[in-house]
Amino acid sequence: MLSEDAMKHTVRILAAFVLTVLLAVAGCRQAPAPVPDVEARPVTSVPSTPTDAAWNDTPEHVAKMIPQDLVEPRLMTPSTAEVRVRALTDGKTVAFRLEWVDDTKSDLPGPAQMIDACAVQLPQRLEKEPPAPQMGEATKPVEVTYWRADWQATVNGRGDTIRDLYPNAAIDHYPFNAQSLTKGSPEQAEMAKRYAPARALGNARSGPRTTPVEDLAANGPGTLTSVPSRGSTGMGVYGKTGWSVVIVRTWPDGVASGQRTNVAFAVWQGSQREAGARKMRTGWIPLFTRGTP
Amino acid sequence: MARVYNWQLGREMSYWYPESRPQRQFAAVFDTNKCIACQTCTLACKTTWTSGKGQEYMLWNNVESKPYGSYPLTYDVKLLNMLEGQRWSGSKYTGQTIFESAPAGERVLGWRPEEQDYSYPNVGEDDCAGQVDHGALVTIPHMNWFFYLARICNHCTYPACLASCPRGSIYKRQEDGIVLVDQSRCRGYQECVRGCPYKKVFFNPMTGTSEKCIACYPKMEQGIQPQCFVNCIGKIRMAGYLSKPEQARPDNPIDYLVHVKKLALPLFPQYGLEPNVYYIPPIHAPLSFNEQLFGPGAGAAMKMYRTAATDMDLAGLLCLFGSSEMVMSKWRRQGEMVSGLDDKGAELVKVPLREPVHVRPGVDPKLQIIRTNCP
Repeated sequence: MLSEDAMKHTVRILAAFVLTVLLAVAGCRQAPAPVPDVEARPVTSVPSTPTDAAWNDTPEHVAKMIPQDLVEPRLMTPSTAEVRVRALTDGKTVAFRLEWVDDTKSDLPGPAQMIDACAVQLPQRLEKEPPAPQMGEATKPVEVTYWRADWQATVNGRGDTIRDLYPNAAIDHYPFNAQSLTKGSPEQAEMAKRYAPARALGNARSGPRTTPVEDLAANGPGTLTSVPSRGSTGMGVYGKTGWSVVIVRTWPDGVASGQRTNVAFAVWQGSQREAGARKMRTGWIPLFTRGTP
Repeated sequence: MARVYNWQLGREMSYWYPESRPQRQFAAVFDTNKCIACQTCTLACKTTWTSGKGQEYMLWNNVESKPYGSYPLTYDVKLLNMLEGQRWSGSKYTGQTIFESAPAGERVLGWRPEEQDYSYPNVGEDDCAGQVDHGALVTIPHMNWFFYLARICNHCTYPACLASCPRGSIYKRQEDGIVLVDQSRCRGYQECVRGCPYKKVFFNPMTGTSEKCIACYPKMEQGIQPQCFVNCIGKIRMAGYLSKPEQARPDNPIDYLVHVKKLALPLFPQYGLEPNVYYIPPIHAPLSFNEQLFGPGAGAAMKMYRTAATDMDLAGLLCLFGSSEMVMSKWRRQGEMVSGLDDKGAELVKVPLREPVHVRPGVDPKLQIIRTNCP
């Protein structure tokens, strides 16, 4: 038997607990229920950051991911289980926000160092039968917009020197730093190119980057090729649980309001040594918008 | 995978692409017995090709002390451990190549060195294979051994880097068999770094692409040997072109050493890449070690090299090493003189088989002083 005082004390504790729970529930915003398709809600202007309030009321599609296991090299160990996707469109452009759990930030390139990244893929043409979801096919190309964490770091201000990657690196001399070359001169830039062949050849992969995204096209595995910019932009922020990335690109040609096309996503976790074909991907997911902004 | 013929294994094997040999194949012979590890080759390459940003750690050419030296760290023993059961039946390899033992989901059996593996470019330098007891006198043959192994890209007939690249960014030139990474197409997946068993492809973190030895193709196109060859102090190297075994020409110096005499042997032929840098094995290293590195022909090659001085042709050809910066497509010996010739048969260089010997008496009779060996 409890004494009267003990009874009162217990009741007070229970009341406080119930009140706390009620307050907590009342204070929480109800997360939108996941939706089966990717619906791009119309807005007057698409957000460029993943923290923009415009995302809060946008429906979220949770896309299950599978390892790329059709062509070698395959990803044999699954990593990212799902990517949470929200989309907004102003009728001309579409912004996707991709979020996934990643407990390691990988944005430093180097030998055996892979980079966190994600990509959005759309069919190049609206057709009854979409292309193969894995990089398209010979007669049915796909468009890809690709974001990388190391490019984001460069855009955020990381320098373009080896000491920005390895702060304690010892460097004797670079030929383009010879005293005979004026610093910052076209002659010096030309000399520097000779020692960076990929940059000299205009490889879009080879930076230094002014945007963290790249526009690409493919018509089958192994055919991914950089294309002239479609004006895509992006921004990624690494938070407590992983990455939140916005990719903004043109709304797919010929897809009217209410009409459906397809979209697919891919995620690479650098800490899992994922790059290129070693990735987690989704199949095609219906993409549509209702009405125009 | 396709079935291709690998003459170094004496059998067919599996490869990612069908057999497609170039019109002629860049090849080289390195005489390990003459290398003094001065690293002049390493520096010649470094200053020519890899002194840009992101290339700081790259050594397209390196020289490592065997048995302990390796760059990147343990590149050789790591894969040898992974590639179990390297069996030869005579000159036929009955074990598995790295293509045939590729795990599920992979194109080749490979591994990717970590950053730290590139941190010790000359680990094991001059370390011999065992302890020399305190107070021991040096005897001939030496009670312990080590030797220097100079390495560049092998410009393999069946490159694992090329097979590993899912984008087809690596190609083998039809005109000379030189293997190159297309810097406009590479996207830096590092699959080639993973796949190459010799670890001669390097990732450039500043450009985000992988880079490798190009066999100084702008020089080779002009009939001039690569930088690491012409700068070699020890004159251990000769660059040229190798024919298929059945088309070997004895007047081609590389064919003569590789196919006719079988003195120069491929490095780790058991991997299955048909590498095209050939080594005259070190005659003071144990046979078992040489066989692991150079295959079952190591014993006969060591024996031949020991008596090379008695073979006028062989000794003559070895005298041509380092005698000209030009590519010697042909050679001939006439008595005591050996000549290196170009494609058209024009003489590029002529060297004596034996240098004249001058003996200076220990005492200068005119000045009545004792000479010393010091300058």
